[in-house]
Amino acid sequence: MSGERLAYRLVQIGFAAVLLLAWWLVSRNGYVSPILLPSLTSSVHEFVLLLESGSYWPDLRVTLYELVMAFMIASVTGCIVGYIVSRSRFSVRVFDPLFAGLYSIPAILLFPLYVLFFGLGPGSKIAIGATIAFFPIILNTIAGFDYVDRSYITAARSMGASGVQMFWSVMLPAAFPVVLAGLRMGFILAFLSILGSETIASLSGLGHKIVSFAESMDPAKMFAYIFLAIIIAFLLNATVTLIEARVRRGHG
Amino acid sequence: MRNGTSAITVEGVSQAFGPEGDPRRVIALESASLAVERGELLCLIGPSGCGKSTLLNLIGGLMTPTTGEVAIEGERVRGPLPKKVAYVFQESALFPWRTVIDNVKLGMAFQGVARSERDDRAMGALSAVGLADFAQHYPAQLSGGMKQRAQLARALGLQTDILLMDEPFAALDEQTRMVLGEDLSELLARTGKTIVFVTHSLVEAVFLADRVAVFTARPGRIKTMISVDEGHPRNRDFMTSDKLGRLRNELYELLHDEIRKTMGDTRP
Amino acid sequence: MSVGPGLARLGVIIGLVILWEIGVRLYGDPLFLSPPSQVVGALWEILGNQPVMRALGTTLYELVVAFALAVAVGLPIGLIIGLQRFARGSFYPIVLMLYAIPQATILPLVILAFGIGPPSKIAFGFTHAVFPIMVTVVAGVQGVKPSLLVCARSMGANRSQIFWNVILPHMIPSFFTGMRLAMTGDLLGVLLAELYVSQAGVGHFTRLFTESFEPAKLFALITCLAAIAVLLNELCRRAERRMSRWHE
Repeated sequence: MSGERLAYRLVQIGFAAVLLLAWWLVSRNGYVSPILLPSLTSSVHEFVLLLESGSYWPDLRVTLYELVMAFMIASVTGCIVGYIVSRSRFSVRVFDPLFAGLYSIPAILLFPLYVLFFGLGPGSKIAIGATIAFFPIILNTIAGFDYVDRSYITAARSMGASGVQMFWSVMLPAAFPVVLAGLRMGFILAFLSILGSETIASLSGLGHKIVSFAESMDPAKMFAYIFLAIIIAFLLNATVTLIEARVRRGHG
Repeated sequence: MRNGTSAITVEGVSQAFGPEGDPRRVIALESASLAVERGELLCLIGPSGCGKSTLLNLIGGLMTPTTGEVAIEGERVRGPLPKKVAYVFQESALFPWRTVIDNVKLGMAFQGVARSERDDRAMGALSAVGLADFAQHYPAQLSGGMKQRAQLARALGLQTDILLMDEPFAALDEQTRMVLGEDLSELLARTGKTIVFVTHSLVEAVFLADRVAVFTARPGRIKTMISVDEGHPRNRDFMTSDKLGRLRNELYELLHDEIRKTMGDTRP
Repeated sequence: MSVGPGLARLGVIIGLVILWEIGVRLYGDPLFLSPPSQVVGALWEILGNQPVMRALGTTLYELVVAFALAVAVGLPIGLIIGLQRFARGSFYPIVLMLYAIPQATILPLVILAFGIGPPSKIAFGFTHAVFPIMVTVVAGVQGVKPSLLVCARSMGANRSQIFWNVILPHMIPSFFTGMRLAMTGDLLGVLLAELYVSQAGVGHFTRLFTESFEPAKLFALITCLAAIAVLLNELCRRAERRMSRWHE
């Protein structure tokens, strides 16, 4: 590693070390109430306990279930409706601004309505996750199919491609990268919004667990779940990136 | 090479874009008529917007003329004829998500060629353009000249009698163009295909064509037809000959004012 | 051309509203769903309701303060990181790492730290808004074409002149893009915190209307908030477009 890069790394490690040191000192000397900031050691201890016991599993399962359901609903409807809209220039001009405009409204506002309608169970979380993920997916699907390079279509027409052949051999592969990017964004947004909504109103799930430990004044356990949630987010993101890279490579 | 029957006939063809009465209406082509013999290479040359690409698209059935008639081997053209006509475009219309050989095979798939035949035909076409070793590469890995050769292979793989080429070498540097021009001439001599070739390059037109159709500025009409009496395959001797120089100068004289007109130059 | 796209869009929206009205009147349980006609009535009620209006005002205040803080902090830090090579190499990865943390997980923590009043909402909005500003400012500073810098230097400009006349103007469009993104984040952060727990802001009333099963009032309140959000977003978008006009 070059001298410069080493210096950067040292600063970053130093930063992390200072942070941890500050945490340890502050909680040790009681500068901050232990209800807000548990000691570093107890947090780590609780985190290890949590991992070992596996007691996170029921709530993690709920959160993942909500995520998968929300993503499936959003991606199926988003892709199908998006493709249909992209078929005519007129419908693109009518619907694309409509969806783009709706996208600018923070969809989390709908969550109280979903809670009213679906209750505190996974249903409301799936609903909000699907709603929020829907928009990047449909907008990207419309864009992907709308902007297929004219020269590909002309070439295929000149070679006598039928409508079905045109779709499978030209439109779909050409639109694919953009649609994939939309799916990826939708997935991440779904996860974040599900976590957030679990925090607001839920009976189970990772977000709920964090809140319940906050309310029961057990901050060490709360921190343990926060660590876990961050790690899950990181893992999901890495998985999605890997899948996207793998798919792109096969795409040529 | 010539046997009297016209492969392509264009009679009184006009093409206008935009509804009648609309002030923005563009008349791209006006009363064009010509006949292309079998085994002939005809070049269409003219200033930008003169309708030469439009005429090519009309011949290939990608558009229908506003007035007039286009016929291929006596039959009126109503739509794309993938079994009779193959295209090579200016921008590489190779699909970037498929390998070179898959691109060549794709055209055959659209045509309905049997799967078992496709591999042999594809490799044959690629060998003809000298890309046999690059069959498994992706278009992004090829140079500009190679991409156009791959497009040519795709067109050859369709085994049509007629080849329509729309400024296929325009995006390439001059040196590559010269080499590819020689290759094309050699291909023509070997296969006897009928080729209609659109170009901006005067030298390219004279080097490649049996006849050159010179267009006026928009609305495009065929100003003159120039004959190049020279057999195929043509090589570097022809490139450096006086004859080519003379014909090129003749083209320049014919085109110079048309080009200025296109650029809005109203100076005398 | 018979119908323009704008008119068609209006038609689609009206059609959906009619569908909503009929659908809910025929099939909907009034405890859970409200037809648009009732929502309009509830909207009228709410607009005259003092406490609700005050709560909306508080929320707007939280949004604006959080945004201002995000700009005040994000812009200078972004500039420093963008201009200073060492800061960029060492601190920028840290910024990106913090940006990647799912902030929904620390919501209860922020509330614990700042209480259930406006300060916690401002803090949460701030943390959502500050990162897009930093990132876009860094990108804007970094994105100046080297040829422009070379040209300026060849004309004898010193560092300060290069900053004010080349780098800063070039960074402005990215900065405004960052502000637009920051506004989106700000809205998300403040609203998330409000919905979680609120005494003086709208979150209090959303919870009230949810628990007392008054969908019409809830929807009316959401509509007000949505209107505020759209307004703020649109302001940012217009500003961004105005500033980007010279950009390719």
